[in-house]
Amino acid sequence: MIFTIFKKELKDTLRDRRTIIAMIVVPVLVFPILLALSTTVTKYFDDKQKEEVLKIALVSDHTENQFTQRLSAIPDSLGPKELIFRQDTLGLKKEISMDSIQLAFIIPSNFDAEQADNRQTTIQVYHKGVNLGNKDRVENYLSIIENTLLAERFERLNLDKQLIDPINQQYIDISSEKEIIGKVAGGFLPYLFIIFGFIGCMYPAIDLFTGEKERKTLETLLTTPVPRWKILIGKMLVISLSGIAAAVFALLGMFAGLRLFNIVDVPGLSSIIDGILTPSFILGLLVLLIPLTIFFAGIMIPATIYAKSFKEAQSVLTPVNFIIFLPAFVGLLPNIELDYTTAFIPIVNIVLATKEMVAGTIDPILLIISYIVMVAVAAIAVLFSYKRFGKESNIIS
Amino acid sequence: MIQVENIRKEFELTKKQQKENNTTDKVALAVKDVSFECQPGRIFSLLGPNGAGKTTTLRMLAGIIKPTQGSIKINGIDVQKKPNEAKKDIGFLTGSTGLYERLTANEIIAYFAKLYRVSDADFEERKENLYSLLGMHDFQDKRIGRLSTGMKQKVSIARTMIHDPKVVIFDEPTSGLDVITAENIIKLISDCKVQGKTVIFSSHIMSEVDLLCDDLAIIHKGNIVLRSTMQEFRDNMQTDSLTAEFIRVINENTKS
Repeated sequence: MIFTIFKKELKDTLRDRRTIIAMIVVPVLVFPILLALSTTVTKYFDDKQKEEVLKIALVSDHTENQFTQRLSAIPDSLGPKELIFRQDTLGLKKEISMDSIQLAFIIPSNFDAEQADNRQTTIQVYHKGVNLGNKDRVENYLSIIENTLLAERFERLNLDKQLIDPINQQYIDISSEKEIIGKVAGGFLPYLFIIFGFIGCMYPAIDLFTGEKERKTLETLLTTPVPRWKILIGKMLVISLSGIAAAVFALLGMFAGLRLFNIVDVPGLSSIIDGILTPSFILGLLVLLIPLTIFFAGIMIPATIYAKSFKEAQSVLTPVNFIIFLPAFVGLLPNIELDYTTAFIPIVNIVLATKEMVAGTIDPILLIISYIVMVAVAAIAVLFSYKRFGKESNIIS
Repeated sequence: MIQVENIRKEFELTKKQQKENNTTDKVALAVKDVSFECQPGRIFSLLGPNGAGKTTTLRMLAGIIKPTQGSIKINGIDVQKKPNEAKKDIGFLTGSTGLYERLTANEIIAYFAKLYRVSDADFEERKENLYSLLGMHDFQDKRIGRLSTGMKQKVSIARTMIHDPKVVIFDEPTSGLDVITAENIIKLISDCKVQGKTVIFSSHIMSEVDLLCDDLAIIHKGNIVLRSTMQEFRDNMQTDSLTAEFIRVINENTKS
């Protein structure tokens, strides 16, 4: 009888446009669209920044100084520039403020003499701090000039450069690419499926309880000789399945966006994704999603059965969103790992376990503990739902 | 057969409801000590003004809600003790069709047949009979959301009768329906009587009562204030119409 109810509710749910949008369309499209938009916008501004001709004022008594020569020699491939010579700083700040000039270097008259004496010269740079890209360009120019001056100074003094570089740092990273991705991006995956798992559960939950109450179909269903718990389980399975489907579609959308459409241009990304998306990872993820979405269904049903209208159900569930998403943030924080404390915290344990699974560093015992904890809270949520579903004032509108 | 003995129904009031009703009582009494019997092959009408307790009583008979005290038996089965056993014999129809808008008529009828564990052979036969009787063949594959109110009501009737219930409960079945659709319901109720089913229906439309019912009870503020056969009711009328007599009984009991 549970299967009969499940089948009917699934058919009914799959014909609901709102649920289809929340369960399939949004999860599949959101990441490719977001990734495509963000990379396109970032690339556009990067290109614009690189191609922008910076007007740079050089304030000096004479134009024939080493700094000016070296700055002029920097090729345009490192950023096109137009040099303007000034005798003084009069009106300079205003021009930079109005963006008619982007930068100004104040070059002391004794620059060449000080460099010849191997002394340090102070170069003042006027810039507009809000234009972050301009400052990056300045630092790049100065770094090039400084390195050439330094090399010449060492040559002149007949010194070895190692004198100012006593330690040669060599880092040998033994982390695999998969582990690095797991630690860095692994936190994002559970965050993603918790959000979409929750949203995927939300609309069917509202439709199958509040909606049925509003449409008076729940009353009709309760006149049939089907135990109330079977009705609850049948509906709950559809809600959980919708949550799982939404989470899976979101992950598929993200991976498809990254891999098939080459939205993010990272070398070797395809092989990294292949490394993550192993059958054991997908299976493990689905196994974790089952208690998670049952838990979501278990906490949503009492709210949706209590609400008297679709609108009221949405308002009741909105604060629950925040309570659920908060532990999901933990996955994005560095240095918090799955251990014998965090494994006992619901949702946090799922987030951290997924992170470890992506990295391939999961401790099976901690995974089992996390799973048992989630199954236990899901069971409590189901029992709570059953109690609320049995309450007459909730089921009769 | 329906046997109702001293049933009472209290609803807990929330603080908001207490404020709205201007009361400090934590419970509202919807039905007080109600008893009656409905016999097979007879139509029993439960009459009363809005808010009298008709729907609450019928919901208790159908096992949707439980009485706070008292007992209800459907064909000898105690509804409180064996609700799912008792529900097998009940068909429940209300004025609001309570149908799934995204499913077709066929899908709904098949779904309810499964919930009542109707065998495939019986299902096909009953479905064909009901569809022919109600003229449903033309719209059997259309989704409910695209049907007219009359068509929906026909689907609702088929849904109620697909398991051939021995007891049929109608809660204000013609409320808000057009004349033609209401006529279908009236005919269904009459047919149920001919088939020897136990029928109870609630209404406040006296013309329907006059046309259909064999026994009646008038409920007012949760109490049965009059119980008799239709013939006795007609014989003892102190006014010149059924509606006037119904109002007289209600007013008399409002004063006392």
